[in-house]
Amino acid sequence: MDWEGQKRSEIFMLISLVVFGVVAFGVGYAIGSFQIMMLIYGSGVVLTALITVPNWPFFNRHPLKWLDPSEADRHPKPQVNTAAPKKKASKQK
Amino acid sequence: MGMHSFGNRANAFVTFAVTILAVMCSLASLSDNFNVHTPTADVKVFNINWFQKQPNGNDEVSLTLNISADLSSMFTWNTKQVFVFVAAEYETPQNALNQVSLWDGIIPSKEHAKFWIHTTNKYRFIDQGSNLRGKDFNLTLHWHIMPQTGKMFADKIVMTGYRLPEEYR
Repeated sequence: MDWEGQKRSEIFMLISLVVFGVVAFGVGYAIGSFQIMMLIYGSGVVLTALITVPNWPFFNRHPLKWLDPSEADRHPKPQVNTAAPKKKASKQK
Repeated sequence: MGMHSFGNRANAFVTFAVTILAVMCSLASLSDNFNVHTPTADVKVFNINWFQKQPNGNDEVSLTLNISADLSSMFTWNTKQVFVFVAAEYETPQNALNQVSLWDGIIPSKEHAKFWIHTTNKYRFIDQGSNLRGKDFNLTLHWHIMPQTGKMFADKIVMTGYRLPEEYR
Protein backbone atom coordinates (compact mmCIF):
# COMPACT_ATOMS: atom_id res chain seq x y z
CA MET A 1 0.00 0.00 0.00
CA ASP A 2 1.47 3.37 -0.98
CA TRP A 3 1.52 6.51 1.15
CA GLU A 4 -1.64 7.97 -0.33
CA GLY A 5 -3.38 4.61 0.04
CA GLN A 6 -2.43 4.37 3.71
CA LYS A 7 -3.84 7.82 4.37
CA ARG A 8 -7.09 7.09 2.56
CA SER A 9 -7.47 3.70 4.19
CA GLU A 10 -7.07 5.20 7.67
CA ILE A 11 -9.44 8.12 7.07
CA PHE A 12 -12.06 5.83 5.56
CA MET A 13 -11.73 3.44 8.51
CA LEU A 14 -12.26 6.21 11.09
CA ILE A 15 -15.25 7.75 9.32
CA SER A 16 -16.88 4.45 8.42
CA LEU A 17 -16.73 2.99 11.93
CA VAL A 18 -18.00 6.20 13.56
CA VAL A 19 -20.87 6.45 11.06
CA PHE A 20 -21.85 2.81 11.56
CA GLY A 21 -21.67 3.29 15.33
CA VAL A 22 -23.88 6.37 15.26
CA VAL A 23 -26.40 4.80 12.89
CA ALA A 24 -26.48 1.53 14.84
CA PHE A 25 -27.07 3.32 18.14
CA GLY A 26 -29.70 5.62 16.64
CA VAL A 27 -31.66 2.83 15.01
CA GLY A 28 -31.31 0.50 17.99
CA TYR A 29 -32.49 3.14 20.43
CA ALA A 30 -35.33 4.26 18.16
CA ILE A 31 -36.82 0.80 17.67
CA GLY A 32 -35.79 -0.36 21.13
CA SER A 33 -33.67 -3.30 20.08
CA PHE A 34 -30.19 -3.89 21.43
CA GLN A 35 -29.83 -6.83 19.05
CA ILE A 36 -30.50 -4.70 15.96
CA MET A 37 -27.88 -2.21 17.14
CA MET A 38 -25.30 -4.98 17.44
CA LEU A 39 -26.22 -6.47 14.06
CA ILE A 40 -25.89 -3.12 12.28
CA TYR A 41 -22.58 -2.32 13.94
CA GLY A 42 -21.30 -5.87 13.44
CA SER A 43 -22.02 -5.77 9.71
CA GLY A 44 -20.40 -2.33 9.54
CA VAL A 45 -17.29 -3.67 11.21
CA VAL A 46 -17.04 -6.61 8.80
CA LEU A 47 -17.60 -4.40 5.76
CA THR A 48 -15.09 -1.77 6.88
CA ALA A 49 -12.50 -4.44 7.69
CA LEU A 50 -12.87 -5.96 4.24
CA ILE A 51 -12.36 -2.56 2.62
CA THR A 52 -9.55 -1.10 4.72
CA VAL A 53 -7.39 -3.99 5.92
CA PRO A 54 -6.40 -5.92 2.76
CA ASN A 55 -3.95 -4.33 0.35
CA TRP A 56 -6.38 -3.64 -2.50
CA PRO A 57 -5.15 -2.36 -5.88
CA PHE A 58 -6.98 0.96 -5.45
CA PHE A 59 -4.69 1.76 -2.52
CA ASN A 60 -1.68 1.52 -4.84
CA ARG A 61 -2.41 4.13 -7.49
CA HIS A 62 0.17 6.67 -6.31
CA PRO A 63 3.54 4.91 -6.47
CA LEU A 64 6.64 6.89 -5.51
CA LYS A 65 8.71 7.80 -8.57
CA TRP A 66 12.33 6.97 -7.90
CA LEU A 67 15.08 8.35 -10.08
CA ASP A 68 16.49 5.97 -12.62
CA PRO A 69 19.78 4.38 -11.44
CA SER A 70 21.58 5.82 -14.48
CA GLU A 71 20.65 9.29 -13.19
CA ALA A 72 22.45 8.55 -9.93
CA ASP A 73 25.52 7.36 -11.80
CA ARG A 74 25.74 10.66 -13.68
CA HIS A 75 25.68 12.63 -10.41
CA PRO A 76 27.91 10.65 -8.05
CA LYS A 77 27.94 11.52 -4.39
CA PRO A 78 30.75 13.79 -3.36
CA GLN A 79 33.48 11.73 -1.75
CA VAL A 80 33.68 12.19 2.03
CA ASN A 81 37.24 12.78 3.12
CA THR A 82 36.84 13.50 6.84
CA ALA A 83 35.19 11.11 9.32
CA ALA A 84 31.38 11.33 9.02
CA PRO A 85 30.37 14.99 8.72
CA LYS A 86 26.60 14.74 8.46
CA LYS A 87 24.92 11.75 6.98
CA LYS A 88 22.13 12.27 4.54
CA ALA A 89 19.09 10.08 4.92
CA SER A 90 19.39 7.02 2.79
CA LYS A 91 16.93 6.58 0.01
CA GLN A 92 15.51 3.39 1.45
CA LYS A 93 12.25 3.89 3.28
CA MET B 1 -1.48 4.88 13.61
CA GLY B 2 0.72 2.83 11.35
CA MET B 3 -1.10 1.61 8.29
CA HIS B 4 1.80 0.28 6.26
CA SER B 5 1.29 -3.46 6.68
CA PHE B 6 -1.63 -5.86 6.92
CA GLY B 7 -0.87 -6.50 10.59
CA ASN B 8 -0.68 -2.81 11.46
CA ARG B 9 -3.94 -2.05 9.70
CA ALA B 10 -5.67 -4.99 11.37
CA ASN B 11 -4.40 -3.82 14.77
CA ALA B 12 -5.47 -0.21 14.22
CA PHE B 13 -8.85 -1.39 12.95
CA VAL B 14 -9.64 -3.72 15.84
CA THR B 15 -8.53 -1.13 18.40
CA PHE B 16 -10.76 1.55 16.97
CA ALA B 17 -13.73 -0.78 16.36
CA VAL B 18 -13.66 -1.96 19.99
CA THR B 19 -13.36 1.63 21.22
CA ILE B 20 -16.51 2.60 19.32
CA LEU B 21 -18.25 -0.51 20.67
CA ALA B 22 -17.36 0.52 24.23
CA VAL B 23 -18.76 4.01 23.63
CA MET B 24 -22.01 2.54 22.25
CA CYS B 25 -22.39 0.24 25.25
CA SER B 26 -21.71 3.08 27.67
CA LEU B 27 -24.35 5.23 26.01
CA ALA B 28 -26.81 2.33 26.09
CA SER B 29 -26.24 1.97 29.81
CA LEU B 30 -26.55 5.70 30.40
CA SER B 31 -29.83 5.78 28.47
CA ASP B 32 -31.33 3.54 31.18
CA ASN B 33 -31.21 6.48 33.58
CA PHE B 34 -33.96 8.21 31.61
CA ASN B 35 -36.37 5.36 32.29
CA VAL B 36 -38.86 5.99 35.07
CA HIS B 37 -39.83 2.88 37.03
CA THR B 38 -43.40 2.70 38.25
CA PRO B 39 -43.71 -0.95 39.33
CA THR B 40 -46.66 -2.14 41.33
CA ALA B 41 -46.79 -5.22 43.52
CA ASP B 42 -49.19 -6.86 45.91
CA VAL B 43 -48.62 -9.98 47.99
CA LYS B 44 -51.39 -11.58 50.00
CA VAL B 45 -51.04 -14.43 52.45
CA PHE B 46 -53.78 -16.68 51.12
CA ASN B 47 -53.38 -19.34 53.80
CA ILE B 48 -51.12 -20.44 56.64
CA ASN B 49 -50.88 -24.14 55.84
CA TRP B 50 -49.07 -25.21 58.96
CA PHE B 51 -46.92 -23.69 61.67
CA GLN B 52 -44.70 -25.75 63.92
CA LYS B 53 -41.60 -25.95 66.02
CA GLN B 54 -38.93 -28.25 64.63
CA PRO B 55 -37.30 -30.81 66.98
CA ASN B 56 -34.20 -28.60 67.06
CA GLY B 57 -36.24 -25.67 68.34
CA ASN B 58 -36.52 -23.57 65.18
CA ASP B 59 -39.93 -22.29 64.12
CA GLU B 60 -41.09 -23.13 60.62
CA VAL B 61 -44.20 -21.95 58.83
CA SER B 62 -45.72 -22.89 55.48
CA LEU B 63 -47.62 -20.20 53.63
CA THR B 64 -49.67 -19.98 50.47
CA LEU B 65 -49.10 -16.65 48.76
CA ASN B 66 -50.90 -14.72 46.06
CA ILE B 67 -48.28 -12.59 44.33
CA SER B 68 -49.30 -10.08 41.71
CA ALA B 69 -47.02 -7.52 40.15
CA ASP B 70 -46.61 -5.34 37.11
CA LEU B 71 -42.92 -4.79 36.46
CA SER B 72 -43.21 -3.92 32.77
CA SER B 73 -42.09 -0.32 33.32
CA MET B 74 -38.65 -1.63 34.30
CA PHE B 75 -37.92 -2.99 30.87
CA THR B 76 -35.91 -0.84 28.47
CA TRP B 77 -34.10 -1.72 25.27
CA ASN B 78 -31.02 -2.47 27.38
CA THR B 79 -32.74 -4.88 29.80
CA LYS B 80 -31.77 -8.52 29.59
CA GLN B 81 -33.91 -9.82 32.42
CA VAL B 82 -35.28 -8.92 35.83
CA PHE B 83 -34.71 -11.07 38.88
CA VAL B 84 -37.37 -10.75 41.59
CA PHE B 85 -37.72 -12.33 44.98
CA VAL B 86 -40.16 -12.04 47.86
CA ALA B 87 -38.62 -11.98 51.31
CA ALA B 88 -40.24 -12.13 54.72
CA GLU B 89 -38.56 -9.49 56.87
CA TYR B 90 -38.95 -9.20 60.62
CA GLU B 91 -37.17 -8.13 63.77
CA THR B 92 -36.05 -10.37 66.63
CA PRO B 93 -34.27 -9.59 69.90
CA GLN B 94 -30.97 -10.84 68.41
CA ASN B 95 -31.22 -9.25 64.96
CA ALA B 96 -32.71 -5.95 63.84
CA LEU B 97 -33.43 -7.41 60.39
CA ASN B 98 -34.09 -11.02 59.44
CA GLN B 99 -34.68 -11.75 55.78
CA VAL B 100 -36.05 -15.08 54.58
CA SER B 101 -36.50 -15.55 50.86
CA LEU B 102 -39.83 -17.24 50.17
CA TRP B 103 -40.14 -17.13 46.41
CA ASP B 104 -38.12 -15.91 43.44
CA GLY B 105 -38.36 -15.73 39.69
CA ILE B 106 -36.62 -14.55 36.55
CA ILE B 107 -38.62 -12.36 34.20
CA PRO B 108 -37.18 -12.70 30.72
CA SER B 109 -39.14 -10.02 28.89
CA LYS B 110 -41.65 -7.21 29.10
CA GLU B 111 -44.40 -9.56 27.94
CA HIS B 112 -43.93 -11.65 31.08
CA ALA B 113 -43.56 -8.71 33.43
CA LYS B 114 -47.21 -8.51 34.43
CA PHE B 115 -48.00 -11.67 36.36
CA TRP B 116 -50.13 -13.26 39.03
CA ILE B 117 -48.95 -16.31 40.93
CA HIS B 118 -50.65 -18.49 43.50
CA THR B 119 -47.96 -20.53 45.25
CA THR B 120 -46.78 -22.05 48.48
CA ASN B 121 -43.44 -20.69 49.66
CA LYS B 122 -40.76 -22.01 47.29
CA TYR B 123 -38.04 -21.82 49.95
CA ARG B 124 -38.63 -22.85 53.55
CA PHE B 125 -39.62 -20.14 56.00
CA ILE B 126 -37.57 -21.11 59.06
CA ASP B 127 -36.53 -18.82 61.89
CA GLN B 128 -33.17 -19.53 63.54
CA GLY B 129 -34.80 -19.68 66.92
CA SER B 130 -38.34 -19.65 68.18
CA ASN B 131 -39.46 -16.14 67.40
CA LEU B 132 -42.28 -16.55 64.89
CA ARG B 133 -45.34 -16.93 67.11
CA GLY B 134 -47.43 -13.77 66.91
CA LYS B 135 -44.67 -12.11 64.88
CA ASP B 136 -45.38 -9.05 62.76
CA PHE B 137 -43.51 -9.20 59.50
CA ASN B 138 -43.14 -7.45 56.17
CA LEU B 139 -43.24 -9.05 52.76
CA THR B 140 -40.80 -7.26 50.49
CA LEU B 141 -40.53 -7.63 46.76
CA HIS B 142 -36.89 -7.08 45.78
CA TRP B 143 -35.70 -6.81 42.21
CA HIS B 144 -32.49 -6.60 40.27
CA ILE B 145 -32.73 -5.22 36.75
CA MET B 146 -29.99 -6.93 34.75
CA PRO B 147 -28.91 -4.97 31.67
CA GLN B 148 -27.49 -6.18 28.38
CA THR B 149 -24.56 -3.94 29.21
CA GLY B 150 -23.69 -1.53 31.98
CA LYS B 151 -25.08 -0.77 35.37
CA MET B 152 -27.43 -3.06 37.29
CA PHE B 153 -30.29 -1.46 39.21
CA ALA B 154 -31.79 -2.89 42.39
CA ASP B 155 -34.76 -1.70 44.42
CA LYS B 156 -37.70 -3.02 46.43
CA ILE B 157 -41.31 -2.53 47.47
CA VAL B 158 -42.02 -3.12 51.16
CA MET B 159 -45.48 -4.40 52.11
CA THR B 160 -46.33 -4.22 55.78
CA GLY B 161 -49.02 -5.48 58.12
CA TYR B 162 -48.63 -9.26 58.11
CA ARG B 163 -48.81 -11.29 61.29
CA LEU B 164 -48.18 -14.93 62.16
CA PRO B 165 -50.55 -16.83 64.49
CA GLU B 166 -49.96 -16.97 68.23
CA GLU B 167 -50.18 -20.79 68.31
CA TYR B 168 -48.60 -23.64 66.32
CA ARG B 169 -51.02 -25.46 64.07
